[in-house]
Amino acid sequence: MTYDKKEKKVVHAEHHAHGDDHFREKHLMLDPLPRGQMNDMVMESMTEPPTWKFWLVFGILSVIVAYGLFYSWARLIIEGVGIAGVNRPSYWGIFLVNTVFWIGISHAGTFISAILRVFRAEFRRPFTRAAELMTTFGLVQAGFSIFMHLGRVWLFYWLLPYPNERMLWPNMHSPLSWDLIAITTYLLSSTMYLFLPLIPDLAMARDKSTGWRKIFYRTLALGFRGTEGEWAHLRNAMNIFAWAIIPVMFSVHTIVSWDFAAATRPGWNSTIFGPYFIVGALHSGMGAVIVVLAIIRATMKNMKYFIRPEHFDAIGKLMLVISMGWAYFFFNDYMVQWYGGDKWTKQLLHFHEGGPLGWMWFAMLICNIAIPWAVLWNPKWRSIPWLVSMVGIFINVGMWLERYIIIPISLTINRMPFTWRMYTPGIEIPLGIGTLAFFCLLYMAASKLIPLIPVWEVQEGQMAHKLTKYGRETVVTVSELE
Amino acid sequence: MADTVHLLAVFSDLEPAADAIDQLRALGLSDNDINTISGVPVTEAMLGRPAAWSNVPRIAFGGAILGMSAAAFLVFIAPHWYPYPIQVGTQAYVPGPPSFVLFFELTMLGMLLSTFLGVFLESYFPNYRPMNYVKEASDGKIAVFFTCPSESKDKFTKTMNALGAEKVEVAEVEQL
Repeated sequence: MTYDKKEKKVVHAEHHAHGDDHFREKHLMLDPLPRGQMNDMVMESMTEPPTWKFWLVFGILSVIVAYGLFYSWARLIIEGVGIAGVNRPSYWGIFLVNTVFWIGISHAGTFISAILRVFRAEFRRPFTRAAELMTTFGLVQAGFSIFMHLGRVWLFYWLLPYPNERMLWPNMHSPLSWDLIAITTYLLSSTMYLFLPLIPDLAMARDKSTGWRKIFYRTLALGFRGTEGEWAHLRNAMNIFAWAIIPVMFSVHTIVSWDFAAATRPGWNSTIFGPYFIVGALHSGMGAVIVVLAIIRATMKNMKYFIRPEHFDAIGKLMLVISMGWAYFFFNDYMVQWYGGDKWTKQLLHFHEGGPLGWMWFAMLICNIAIPWAVLWNPKWRSIPWLVSMVGIFINVGMWLERYIIIPISLTINRMPFTWRMYTPGIEIPLGIGTLAFFCLLYMAASKLIPLIPVWEVQEGQMAHKLTKYGRETVVTVSELE
Repeated sequence: MADTVHLLAVFSDLEPAADAIDQLRALGLSDNDINTISGVPVTEAMLGRPAAWSNVPRIAFGGAILGMSAAAFLVFIAPHWYPYPIQVGTQAYVPGPPSFVLFFELTMLGMLLSTFLGVFLESYFPNYRPMNYVKEASDGKIAVFFTCPSESKDKFTKTMNALGAEKVEVAEVEQL
């Protein structure tokens, strides 16, 4: 009897010893490496010579950008917006679809970096920068898309409130003028929020590099040394940013939604468009983050240490919740519009589902609801990077289709049936592909220049985490160090 | 005033660095004579140091006021400067809800821009002059810089070594 008890105890102890290893293998925060080693790993991932595959993809993307973005945009400017598909009644086409789409993508960075920081979600630490970069680069594409839509892009300054010869002071009554201010505010804020926590990592890169990189990092690190004062100022600033950028993020997509909701068109005039758009933005943004993380993890050296299945699991959970939120808002909007019984709204809803592009409406629901719900409920599937990133791709396709349905398809049906006409995109297609390629190209270039992992934040998190035994149970505990 | 010397002690861990700072105080140095450098935001409380004063929140507040003032100018003053204000539907020339949007955005922009600039002002960024620094800090070491009387240099060096310093040397400015 005594022997049995002892054996049981040994087995129990072994189980727990194995359990501790399991914790370390699973959680980055419990698997610390010396800081110098982590620095070297991040530097190596940046500075290792690119493979031929990298150059091949880089080359293909460059060609697409050259043709799709620059050549096509030059044609648009020289020949005029007549070569685009926008015409009565769909004056807003893919340019606006892409603007809304890219602004949506940009919400992921702020969500991960600010909201998860405020809520002390520890799993965010290794990929905040990867998400913040998406925000900045996504907003650049959104800016391009809206400038394309302007047609005479060189007159963009007409949007600004400046005194002009007609003595008209452009007022602030239009959602489009709010857009300009909100998007500019968000672009500037998110770029600053990307840069501030990057400074210590740039200083680390400065200390670890030579040649042109040394000059590059020294210039960008601004002379940061890591003194108590510098950290205190940085900590204060990051706290202010984390709290303040959240309402800015909410305002941006709410104002984008007002571009539509403030009009009295059937299908657009909805009071829940603001939160509906925000949830949609987070949906596509989180989907894009997971795709980017899967690519970084698979292609960059040492990234498997920093980005682990636990991160895909955590983001997967968020994606599932956001998908449910999106479904709720979609149904709420649909229900109220349908119940209202307005003739033209009913006509529009019927056109969405049963019109020539009805397949888009069903594909949107499958991509945004059915696929995420079918996959992401399962913790094992949620932890498989390629699978969950496939879900991310489907969500982004679904969210792009949603914007396409809201903008050009909804514009097809109005209260004047004699103007009804299907929208057929023209030069918008290469330009849209060009912005996507440019986003990827910027990201690839950044991955070789900017430390994608905020090493100091990871180390800070590792300092705060430990395994604690409560009786026979080993649990993860987190101290609040800030 | 007696001659002084700037010393640098590098520690591999937080605990001995905090002990070293306590010891430096016990040897008669004031907090103003001591500074630390680290690659991770070690709080002042962890090292037993007084909280570092930061004006960043005040600068941010000032920026918010400036942003709000810019919005007030655009909303209340600008439309009346020109003879042809634009009528939109039944809205007043200075409508409430759209003005709120403008106030919100410009206040937030002012606050965030000034927060960013506040870090620059408070930290004296950019600063490319040679400075006291030790590269090991970015590899996780904690460097304690202090100024002590020249004649006590050996005593301070011995104390730091006894507390586990990996190296103690005269701090030299270097080009970062």
